[in-house]
Amino acid sequence: MSSALWLAVLVSAAGTLLMRLLPLLWMRRRLARLDGDERLDAMPQWLGVLGPLMIAAVLGVSLVPTTPGALSWLATAIGVLATLAVWWKLRSLGWPIAAGVAAYGAVVILAGLATGA
Amino acid sequence: MSLQATRVLSRPWLVGLREAIPLLGGYVPVAISFGLIAVQAGFTAWEAVIISTLVYAGASQFLFVGMVAAGSPLWLVVIMTLLINARHVVYAPNIAPWLTTSRAWPWLMHGLTDQVFALAHARLPQLPAAQRLGWFTGAALLAWVSWIGGTALGAVAGEELTRRWPLLGEIMPFALPALFLVLLAPRFTSRRWSLALGSSIAIALLLAVGGLTNAAIPLAAACGALCFYLVKCNATAKGGHHE
Repeated sequence: MSSALWLAVLVSAAGTLLMRLLPLLWMRRRLARLDGDERLDAMPQWLGVLGPLMIAAVLGVSLVPTTPGALSWLATAIGVLATLAVWWKLRSLGWPIAAGVAAYGAVVILAGLATGA
Repeated sequence: MSLQATRVLSRPWLVGLREAIPLLGGYVPVAISFGLIAVQAGFTAWEAVIISTLVYAGASQFLFVGMVAAGSPLWLVVIMTLLINARHVVYAPNIAPWLTTSRAWPWLMHGLTDQVFALAHARLPQLPAAQRLGWFTGAALLAWVSWIGGTALGAVAGEELTRRWPLLGEIMPFALPALFLVLLAPRFTSRRWSLALGSSIAIALLLAVGGLTNAAIPLAAACGALCFYLVKCNATAKGGHHE
């Protein structure tokens, strides 16, 4: 890599770190003035709303299959249902994910076998 | 481990490490793809690994190497990379009320990716204060190391891996949406939240299908927030309850 390209990598890395770090320092200063339950109310409401919605948006993006197609969408739908069903029953973190991946993988593999046969 | 569990944990970093394992299903295949693409774009394996170590932001790294390979001006490459990562500014304030006074926290924010944030946002409030630093360190380190390791693997043997196990790269990334589903499911507690979360998911999905993956996250979250406040206004106007 040229020196200019190294500089671009370093500026991108520093900028990304600062975007993750500076808002924390700002919020910490804000929180430092408060105690106990007040601390939870210190966050602007819009920011508290935006947090879960960002996760929801990341979920929406990640639902798009790597290789989109009717079968991939079917596998996604079945994977989602399997994940939610196991979560509903167990309310845990690991098993619903394992069940979702297994269901998704089973549909992809079976579809591959069916189309290959 | 139950999401509601708040029992004292003897080794919180180990719990963080264990709870971040589902992230690997999404991180490793994508990191392998990044390593492979970076090498194909003319970067060496070491350069790809250094980019993953320092920048550590999936979508923007793909854009970075793609724009460099296409000969785009470097100032534009940097601006676009930072613009894509701008969504990260809302993450740390959202978990700040649960962070302790340790000086390590600001440095640990390097590991605050979309996925680690989603996990931390759900888990930190459930952990005793003394366990949070260890838990976050374990979870964030595993994710970071897996991203770096995946990049190295992709740069060195990406072509061979994708040829030998083509389905692995297709199946394992489903661990990420499954993880997000499990983290979000308990938040569907009211009509208002259900509408806001549902619209964010649907809009992000549609935008990503339409090829606007990078803009999808901030736009969909903004639309979800609009929905959240509109439902409140509507309920207030009718004089009814909105929750």
